[in-house]
Amino acid sequence: MSERIISYRAALNEALVEEMERDERVFLMGQDVAKFGGVFAVSKGLQDKFGPKRVFDTPISETLIVGGGVGAALAGARPVVELQYADFALVAMDEILNKAAKWRYMHGNRQSVPLVIRAAEGMFGGLGPEHSQSFGQYFWNAFGLKTLMPSTPADAKSMLKAAIRDDDPVLFLENKALYNRRGPVPDEVEVDPIGKASTIRNGTDLTIIAWSSMVAVALKAAEALAEEGISAEVIDPRGVRPLDTATIFNSVDRIGRVLVTHEGPVTGGLAGELIAQIVETRFDKLLAPPARVAGADTYVPQNLELERFIVPHLEHILAAARKLAATGKSSTQ
Amino acid sequence: MEMTVDQLLHAFRIMERSILAEQRLLRFIEAGDSRVLLHSGRGQEAIGIGACAALRDDDMLFYSHRGVAQILAKGILLDELIGDFLGRIGGATGGLGAGIVHAVDPKFGVMGSSGTLGGGFVLSAGAALGAAKLGDDRVSIHLFGEGSANRGTFHEAANAAALWKLPMIWLCENNGYSVSVPHREATCIEDVAQRAQAYDMPSAIVDGQDVEAVYGAVKEAVERARSGCGPTLIEAKTFRIRGHYEGDPQNYRSKDEIAAAKLKDPQILVQERLAARGVGEDRLEAIRQEERAHLEAAVATAMSHAKAGEAQIYQGLLAGDMS
Repeated sequence: MSERIISYRAALNEALVEEMERDERVFLMGQDVAKFGGVFAVSKGLQDKFGPKRVFDTPISETLIVGGGVGAALAGARPVVELQYADFALVAMDEILNKAAKWRYMHGNRQSVPLVIRAAEGMFGGLGPEHSQSFGQYFWNAFGLKTLMPSTPADAKSMLKAAIRDDDPVLFLENKALYNRRGPVPDEVEVDPIGKASTIRNGTDLTIIAWSSMVAVALKAAEALAEEGISAEVIDPRGVRPLDTATIFNSVDRIGRVLVTHEGPVTGGLAGELIAQIVETRFDKLLAPPARVAGADTYVPQNLELERFIVPHLEHILAAARKLAATGKSSTQ
Repeated sequence: MEMTVDQLLHAFRIMERSILAEQRLLRFIEAGDSRVLLHSGRGQEAIGIGACAALRDDDMLFYSHRGVAQILAKGILLDELIGDFLGRIGGATGGLGAGIVHAVDPKFGVMGSSGTLGGGFVLSAGAALGAAKLGDDRVSIHLFGEGSANRGTFHEAANAAALWKLPMIWLCENNGYSVSVPHREATCIEDVAQRAQAYDMPSAIVDGQDVEAVYGAVKEAVERARSGCGPTLIEAKTFRIRGHYEGDPQNYRSKDEIAAAKLKDPQILVQERLAARGVGEDRLEAIRQEERAHLEAAVATAMSHAKAGEAQIYQGLLAGDMS
């Protein structure tokens, strides 16, 4: 199948265009999404293509953006709403957690909320503590919400298309550090059902589970480790809920050493919960204590000199991986 | 605006149904058959009933937490409502509710309710937006207390609704209390409807005990919304006859005030209106009998379903669970 090399941003734009062409019920609203084309230029050209009825700006009103999206979805539309920065989700948390996520459940499973909430998360160029957070871990307990975090242009496109077609509300966390990242995207994207982890590299000595921007770092680490004779498997869960524990557990069972990495703070993070599940259910398969390589337990300073200390780097993963590979029981015993 | 005699009779019937249902729920609570949290709508029934008389089945209702009369007027089945309070799987939420109702019925446009007060403004505006985007002529209506109107969501939704001329009606039930706090201690203006000016939105203040007055105001607002002229804010002045919840000591208001509220019972007014239109007491008594029988049948139907069990707690989290 033929493919093109395009950016994560362009892939998202294509997904929006294709889904709006496919389904007239789909519309896009948010702050600056129309003429301006989105603060990260994801919706560029969409208003020209689809007109102001389907692509339009909102007031700076996050509860209206998300809650309005929930209401429109209940009425039968398929809204895609943009929150600009994922940090702004905090302004609309009642609408996300109490309304979008719970509406089906608390009203007896008789209505769907086919809403996509797009938001840009992660550190990018000194935006400071209220515009730089990595958010997935806040949504472990949003049981009625699907929380996705694509790490490549191909995933960005196929996962956004899947999110728009899904009958459940989806929080779609785009990573600011990835917007300019280029990669192969098939001309005909396959829209997989949501919730399948992606095994990007096979290995035998340790499993690296990486989310969002850390996936590319993990792959670089795996290449460097290979030269040292350490074979790392790399798995991208591609989201928080639903979590494909089958793929992850299968890898852990085969390999016995696991390193988990993500951008958000290490405490209460994605890694902590996943490792708890691993230790609880397959302690006997582990050859060494699992490792976490995640964000610092602090806020993101605006100072660029300091910002770089927040999120893990290649060296952190390499150091943790080498230590992990060298400790614990031998797999042959 | 006058309702036809048939409309008034229907309003009387739904009011009777709602009052009987609430009375029965109180008996369940007293007998220990139902351990639920009920926010009685006693005294405020004319608002939801008058409003629903001006709506089509496919218009979308986001009701308040005193919404028993509202959702019965819109079409929710009584046995499903009772079933929920009794925690039965035949209940509107499959028995999850058992208290503050979250009953929905999409075929009657009963869309649900926000448990967090003030959560409904942005949702009802969104539903109106959805209808507009889909190009149909449904309207969205939200009933809410004056206390909820102090949430910031009111402003975000009102601004957007007026800006986009959304087909929606906001119907404020001003019963004078935010739970226990008197209106004058929680709100800087006397009339919530005054806020409509800030959004260049038409508004009206009506007697919330008068089903015909509410009907007339809502009918006008619906016509405006359906013809693309945007939202309306209606404030219905009303009285809460019972506490905020069952068991509320109501130490924040006098017995005289409660007694005065009982004199403003909308059921008394609707009966007077029917009498003035020449409808005999025998006809009303026949409706009362029918509604008592209807309630007993609904209770029996509700009780015929099993109690919700542990398996129910994971049902309906995601679309794959759609029954």
